Amino acid sequence: MLSEIVIIVVRGIAIGSIFAMIAMSFNIVHGATGILNFAQGSMLVLGGFAAFFLANGVGLGWWLAMLVVSGLLVAALLAFQGWITLLPLRSSVEQDSWIISTVAVSVIVGAVLLITQGPFAYTVQGMAPPFRILGVRTPGAYALAIGCMLFWFVALRFFLRKTFIGLAISALSQDFDAARAAGLPVRRLQLIAFAISGLMVGTAGFLVAPVISVSSDAGLRYVLNGFVAAVVGGIGSNLGTLIGGPLVGVVTMLTAYRVGGAYQDLASLLVLVAILMLRPQGLFGRVSARRV
Amino acid sequence: MAVAQAARGGQAQAAHGGQAQAANGAAARKRPRFSSDLPQVWIGIALIAITGFVPSLVGNAYWVHTFQLVNIYIAAAIFQNFLFVDAGQKSFGQGVLLGLGAYVTAIFFGLHGYPFAVAALVGLVAAFLGGLLFALPALRVQYFHLGFVTLSAAIVFPQLLMSLDRWTNGINGIPVSMPSMHKEIALGLSPLTILVALFPMAALVVHYMIRRSTLGRRMRVAAVSPEAARTLGIRPGVMRFIAFIIAAIGTGICGILYLPAVSFVSPQGFNVELSFVFFFAVVVGGRGQMLGPIVGIWVVFILPNIVLAQLVEYRLLIYGLLTLATVMAFPDGIVGTIERWRVRRAVTGRGEEAFRVDAFLDGLRGEREAAPGSDIAVEVRGGTKKFGAVVAVDEVDLKVRRGEVHGLIGANGSGKTSLLNVLSGLSRLDAGSFLINGRDATRLAADRIARMNLGRTFQTPRIFPQFSLWENLKVGIDARAGTASPDMARLAAQLEAEFAEDSAELLSHGQRRLVEVMRAMLKEATIVLFDEPAAGLSQSERANFARLVRFLSRRMGKTVILVEHDLDLVWDVADTITVMEQGRIVASGDPASVARDPAVQHMFVGGRLA
Amino acid sequence: MLEVVNLYAGYGIVPVIEDVSLTARPGEILLVGGENGAGKSTLMRAIAGFNRPDRGAVRLAGRPLHGLAPERIAQAGLRLVLDGHRVFPELSVYDNLRMGAAARPGDRAGFAAAVEEIYGVFPILKERHRQYARDLSGGQQQMLALGQAFVAQPKVLLCDEPSMGLAQALLPPILAFLRHWAETGTAVVIVEQHLKVTAPYADRAMIIERGRVKFECAAGELDARLAQMAGESMR
Repeated sequence: MLSEIVIIVVRGIAIGSIFAMIAMSFNIVHGATGILNFAQGSMLVLGGFAAFFLANGVGLGWWLAMLVVSGLLVAALLAFQGWITLLPLRSSVEQDSWIISTVAVSVIVGAVLLITQGPFAYTVQGMAPPFRILGVRTPGAYALAIGCMLFWFVALRFFLRKTFIGLAISALSQDFDAARAAGLPVRRLQLIAFAISGLMVGTAGFLVAPVISVSSDAGLRYVLNGFVAAVVGGIGSNLGTLIGGPLVGVVTMLTAYRVGGAYQDLASLLVLVAILMLRPQGLFGRVSARRV
Repeated sequence: MAVAQAARGGQAQAAHGGQAQAANGAAARKRPRFSSDLPQVWIGIALIAITGFVPSLVGNAYWVHTFQLVNIYIAAAIFQNFLFVDAGQKSFGQGVLLGLGAYVTAIFFGLHGYPFAVAALVGLVAAFLGGLLFALPALRVQYFHLGFVTLSAAIVFPQLLMSLDRWTNGINGIPVSMPSMHKEIALGLSPLTILVALFPMAALVVHYMIRRSTLGRRMRVAAVSPEAARTLGIRPGVMRFIAFIIAAIGTGICGILYLPAVSFVSPQGFNVELSFVFFFAVVVGGRGQMLGPIVGIWVVFILPNIVLAQLVEYRLLIYGLLTLATVMAFPDGIVGTIERWRVRRAVTGRGEEAFRVDAFLDGLRGEREAAPGSDIAVEVRGGTKKFGAVVAVDEVDLKVRRGEVHGLIGANGSGKTSLLNVLSGLSRLDAGSFLINGRDATRLAADRIARMNLGRTFQTPRIFPQFSLWENLKVGIDARAGTASPDMARLAAQLEAEFAEDSAELLSHGQRRLVEVMRAMLKEATIVLFDEPAAGLSQSERANFARLVRFLSRRMGKTVILVEHDLDLVWDVADTITVMEQGRIVASGDPASVARDPAVQHMFVGGRLA
Repeated sequence: MLEVVNLYAGYGIVPVIEDVSLTARPGEILLVGGENGAGKSTLMRAIAGFNRPDRGAVRLAGRPLHGLAPERIAQAGLRLVLDGHRVFPELSVYDNLRMGAAARPGDRAGFAAAVEEIYGVFPILKERHRQYARDLSGGQQQMLALGQAFVAQPKVLLCDEPSMGLAQALLPPILAFLRHWAETGTAVVIVEQHLKVTAPYADRAMIIERGRVKFECAAGELDARLAQMAGESMR
C-alpha cells in the first residue's frame, strides 16, 4: 500500500517533470511569438530517439557529449521550424496559420519516424543508476527528469531576468510593437526562443528516454499532457508549470494504477476540461486586462 | 484599383442623385456578386451528384464504394468548415464525433440487434454528447485551448475503443451487415448510394442557410470580433457552443452513414488520422469556401489513398506536407485562392463617399418633435477605472437626460473611451456604480447591457470583410430587440437594394465609422454611444452626420452620448457638454456656459480644437 | 536628414494617408497636427516601417528606408516613440532603458553616459530605477519611453502624442527635453494634439487633414493660420 503510494507520487512527479518541461518550452515560444507549438511533443520524442541511436549503453563521457548534441540538434530543428512557421505571419492577414502549420509539422515528424523507424517503441538503457525511496526501487531516469526540470526552471529564470537577450525576449512578450520600435531584432529573438525550447525538449527527451515511450506516435500524447500542465499552471507562468506538471503527472499515474494504463490520457483530458471550465487562466495565470 | 474606384465613384454620384435611387437599384444589382457562396453550393451539389451517381449508373463497383466513403467524408468536412470559419473554432477532433455515431450505432445494431433506426438514434445522441464535451469548454475559453481539447479527445477515443472491449469488442471491431441498403432500386442505384450523395448536398445547403441566417451572422461576428459581438447583444461563448453542437450532430449522422458504407467498425478506423483528414481537407480546399471541403477531400483523401495506393504508408506524410505547403504558399487554399482572384478583379466599392447617411434620412419621418426630458437615462456615480497604476476614469459623476445629445470632450487619453467601455460593459468599474434607465448595470455583462437597448460605435470601426456592406449593416438589425418600425423597415430595404453587392473593405476609415453609426441606428437602440464618429469625415459628411444626430434625438427620442474632437460639431448638436481631463470631469453644463469655462478655454486655438 | 516623399500608406486596401511629403532637419523640431483620424499616427507608423507604404519614399540621410522592417529602421537611426506611454511593464526601469540600446549595440560607454543624462533630466527615473515600469505613473512612463529612445541616440526621433493620457502640466518639461535633444543635432518630429502648448517649442508646423498635408508653416505662424482657416470654414 505504502509502496504503491510512493510509486504513484515519485513516478507521477517525475513524469510530471517532463510535462512541466514541455510546458516551459511552450511558454518561452508563446511569450516571444504568440505561438503554441503543437509539434513540441514530437521534438521531445526526437530527443529520445537521439538517446537510442547515439548513446545506448555507452560510457558517461560520450553520453554527456551526446546529451549536448541531442539538445543542439533538436534546437536547430526547432529554429528551422520556427523560421518556417513565422514566414507566413510576415505578410498574411490570417494570424493563426501557425495552429495549422505546427500541427502539420507534428504530423510530418511522426510520419517520418513511422516510415523510417516503424511503429515500435524503442528501449533505451538508463545511464543513472536506480535508487531506492522508502524501499521502492526507482529507475535513475526519474530522478534525472526532476533534476532536469529544476535545472531548466532556474536557468530560464536567470536567462529571462538577467541576460540582455532574455530580457529582450520578455520585452517581446510584453509589447511587441514597442519592442520593434526600440529596434530589438524581433525575428532573431523569436528564433532564439524556438531554439531554446528545442534545447529544453531535446535534452529532456534524451535524459528521460529510458522511462518514456520512444515511438513514432508518442509525440502527440506528450504535447497534450504538456499543454494540460501549462494550462493548470497558467500559460506563461514557469512557476506554475512546477505545480501543473507534477500535478498532471500524479493524476495520470494514479489513473494508471487504479483504473488502468489505457485511461491515462482520458484522465488528463478530464483535468484539462475541468480547469478550463473552472479556472481558465490557470492557478498562477493573470487575467489579461486589455483596453478595447 | 484606383482607376476602378474612380470609375465607381462616378457611378456613385449618379446613384446618390437624390430620389433616383430606386431606379438605380436595378442597375446596381447587375454588378458582380459579392459572395460566390450560392454558385459554389450549386457547383458542389453537381459535383457530389456526378461522383455519387455516375459510378452506379455505369456499374463500376469499386468507384461506387470509394465515392460512398468520399461523400461521407465530404459531409464531415463541410461541418468542419462551418465550425472552422463561421464559428472560428479549430477542432482536431471531428473524427471522434463521426466515430461515436458509427460505433454506438454498430454496438446497438450489430452487437445487440436493435432496429437500425433505434440504434442510429442512440448513435446520434452519443455524437451529441461527444459534442458537448467540446462545447462546454467553448463557453469559457476559445482560441488554441479548444484545439488541444479536441486533439486530446481524438487521441483518447481509439484508446477507449480498445480498452472498453466489454462493450466495443475491442480490437476485433464490429461487423455489420445491411444487405437491404446495398440492393439496387433503380438504374443501378442503391438506397445507400442515394443517401450518402444526398446527405453532403443537404449539409452544403444547411451550411449555406446558416450562413445566411441571423444565427450565422451572429456566429461570424462573434468569431471575428468578440467585443463588437458583445455590444450587439451576442454571447460569443453561446455562439461557439451552438456551433459545436450543430457540427456534432451533422458529423454524427456521417458516422451513422459510415456504418452501412463500410460494413465494419474497428478502433484503427477512428484514430487521430481521421480527424486530421477533415481538418487538413478544409485548409487545403479553402477555408470558408463552400466548395473547399469537396475539393479538399478529393486532394487530401483520394490522392494518397487511391491514386498513390502503393504508397499508403506515406499518406500521413503527404497530408502533413500538403497542408504545410498550402499554409505557406496559398493560405486561402485551392478554392479560396481562385475566389480571392475573382473578388479582386470583380468586386469593388465606390470610392469617395461611397457610404453616406444623408440619402437615407429623407425616408425617415419620426413622429415627435421631442425635447430632452428630465428623467435620467444614464447615470454614473463615483465611477473609477484603473489600468495598473494608471487611473483612466477617476471618480466620475455623470448624468445624461433621456433624449438629450450629451457631448463628451477632452484630450486624447483623458478617459472618454474608457468611460464608454465601462458604460457598454466591456470593462468593469473598480469602484463606483452606474445605472441605465434607473437600473444598476455596474456588474452586467456587455451583451446584457446591449439588450437593454444600448448601442455603440468604436473608434476603430468593427467592419467584417467577409460580409457585404449590406450584411455589415444587417448585423445591427439582427441585434434589434423588438420588431422594426415601418420607417426602419423601409430604410433597411433601401440599404439592401443599394449595398448588397458592395465590399465593406473598400471603405475609408471615416466611412466605416458611418457604417457603425448606421448599424447602431438599425439596432434601434434607445441609448447610443458614438466614439469619435466624425474623425476622418469631410465637411459635408460632418454636416450630414450632425443632421443625423439631431434627428435621432429630436425626432426619434434617442439619448446620444457623443465623444468627439470636432468641437464645432459638438457645440452644434449637443444639449449638454461634459469635459474630461486626466480621467476626471472638469466641467459640465450647457454649451454656452461650458464654452466660458476657463478649464475649456485652452482647448481652443482660433476657434477650433487643437 | 529625414525625407518623406509622396508617401501613400494605410491598412489593408484602403489608403489612410495620401501623397504626404515632409522633411525633418537636424536640430529642428517639426510639429505635426491635425484631427484624430486625419492620419498622423498612420504617417508616423508608415515612416517607421510598421505599415508598409503603398507608394512613395522615406529616406534617412539619402538612404532609402521604406519597405524595411521597423526594427531595421530603428537600427538605421530612426526611432519612433509610440503613443500611449508604452514601456515594457514587467521590466525594471533600468532594464527598459537597456532595451533602448538594442538600436546601437556595442557602445557601452555611450550607453552609460546617456543613462546618466536621462537620470539627470528625469531624476524620478533614477530614484525608481529598480522598480517595474508598470508601477510608474503615466507621466513617468512617458519619460521612460523617451529615455529609452534617447539612449539609442537616433538621428531622427518621431514622437507620437507625448501628451496622451498625461496631465497638462507635465507636457512643458517633456517638450523642453525634446527641444534640448533636438539642439544636439537630432531631427525631431512631434505629433501633438495640444498645438498651442507645443508650437513654441517647435520650428516648423504641418497640419494633416484627411490623410493629406493641409499646409506647412513656421511654428510661430501656426495659430494665425489656424484662426484664418477656421474663419474660412465658418463662411
